[in-house]
Amino acid sequence: MDAIVTLSGLTHDYGNHIALDGLDVVVPAGVTGLVGANGAGKTTMLRILLGLLHPSAGSVSVLGHDAIADPLSVRAQVGYMPEGASLPKDQTAADFVAYTAQLAGLPAGDARRRASETLFLVGLEEERFRFLGDFSTGMAQRVKLAQAIVHGPKLILLDEPASGLDPDGRVQMLELIRRLGSFGINVIVSSHVLSDIESTCDFVVMLDAGRLVRSGPVAGAHRTSTVSVEILGPVDRFTTALTTAGVEWVGDHQTVSVRADTDDIFDAIRDAAASSRVGIMRLERRALTLEDEFLGRADV
Amino acid sequence: MSDAVIYDRGYRSYDGPLGGRGTTRRAIVADGVRRILGLRRKTRRKVLPWSLLALALLMAGIVVGLHFAAGSISAAISEGLPQYAELFDLFSRLALLFIAVTGPELIGPDRSQGVLSVYFSRPMTVGDYLAAKLAAYVSVTSLIYLVPQIALHLGLASLSSDGFLSYLGSNLDILWKIVAVSLAFIAVHGGVLAVITSYIDRTGFAAAAFLGTIIAGRNLAEVVAQASFPGARWFSLLALDDHPRFIRDWLFDSDVGGVYAPEAAGFGPWVSVAVVVVVGVGGGLWMLRRYRKLA
Repeated sequence: MDAIVTLSGLTHDYGNHIALDGLDVVVPAGVTGLVGANGAGKTTMLRILLGLLHPSAGSVSVLGHDAIADPLSVRAQVGYMPEGASLPKDQTAADFVAYTAQLAGLPAGDARRRASETLFLVGLEEERFRFLGDFSTGMAQRVKLAQAIVHGPKLILLDEPASGLDPDGRVQMLELIRRLGSFGINVIVSSHVLSDIESTCDFVVMLDAGRLVRSGPVAGAHRTSTVSVEILGPVDRFTTALTTAGVEWVGDHQTVSVRADTDDIFDAIRDAAASSRVGIMRLERRALTLEDEFLGRADV
Repeated sequence: MSDAVIYDRGYRSYDGPLGGRGTTRRAIVADGVRRILGLRRKTRRKVLPWSLLALALLMAGIVVGLHFAAGSISAAISEGLPQYAELFDLFSRLALLFIAVTGPELIGPDRSQGVLSVYFSRPMTVGDYLAAKLAAYVSVTSLIYLVPQIALHLGLASLSSDGFLSYLGSNLDILWKIVAVSLAFIAVHGGVLAVITSYIDRTGFAAAAFLGTIIAGRNLAEVVAQASFPGARWFSLLALDDHPRFIRDWLFDSDVGGVYAPEAAGFGPWVSVAVVVVVGVGGGLWMLRRYRKLA
């Protein structure tokens, strides 16, 4: 699968604050989630992909173009949906989306036709001649999505697209994003809600305080599971034994989560408990969610 | 059984023609003109600009009508009526109000409503954006200066005893003088507006700051320039609105506004030309620098 984005040693700082710290990431085609807490560096990364920010160090390739040296070629093929309020209140949805299409180089006639089609796609065909100042948050998010795809980009960057939406609106927005992916548009969607990414994306890039926590297929994360072990006795002796046996674990107090990558993990847990002379109160196997993985990796 | 079919139009990638940055700039110019004039906006946004434009045309019509009426009575009466320089004096105040009301609308809302993040995700530079906004500003403000002057010029030509074409032919210099004076007004007001709207998003506050800078700044500069400390006369150059008027009176060889602050301080008209260029270009560069940080 061809890479749509390649980052090498990407670093960006705002003075003393390091926003991105030496990221090496290859993002394949499809729908990719960019996950991290607020301030993790997601928006900074999206702005660097658009060529709006120049990184302090490293290189960025988007759809084969150097985003630092040739940002206009990148922007010609990319759509962007910013997180915050970004719509003019005194224009109709149709006028605004058509205008943004013209800004991408479409002739006026094509721009108006595409605006109508795109607003239809996001479910705003009835409201397209209303002024944007009268739109609800959910409708405004759809307009923002429409302007991001109106010019037929090969890649769209969505910054927290479900932000501020009620549960129904959130489900509909995620469904729309999945649908765009099914049309063959590459999508990078940032979110701090891991369940949204799990339900929408094929690939995930996790950031924590500007550092890469993990990048890989979302499905791969689902295949991984953990075993939760509740210990009776000194937990540090048990975890030392696990480490000696080469078993990856996270946790504190009396409960330890052990990565269950192999089938003989229960034997390893039994042996570690025996050698460290602790009792096992409870053993529970469960699938590892992105959230578990993010919290675990971010902590380790 | 019905033959009806439900089509899901889905999504099609765009494979039509794509213009370059020229198309982008033209789109911004057209949108800027529409925004200044309130076109494709709510009705209340149209009221002020169109009222001021209508007033400008009405005043031009009245001046031409006066010339027509006076000319049929006596040529001497007609010579005493307002001509090009006087008409500039009438319209420059109207234009000042027009620019104060509509100019901030061109720039401020894009920033205050966060739309710049969308615009700059398109294949264009900050320079493209600002150059196109400048073109929109110049296009519309030129209208308010040039249309009444051209209406007067054509009116005077049609009333001329030498004949229409003969009047136009012997007064060709009027045309470049009209354009030069219009550009002087546009450059000074545009430069000041550029600096103010780079920092003030709210259109009402920006309009007040603009009018305050032009009107109060002139009075302040005039007072300080008359002080006795060394170099006080240089403060007369801060009477920004005096410079295009001084240039106008110089070009049209008229004495509409009496003695202007720079003139009273001993500066010649070429100094005013230099100030106009510095304010116009400087304001534009200031705004470019500011927007490079914002984009």
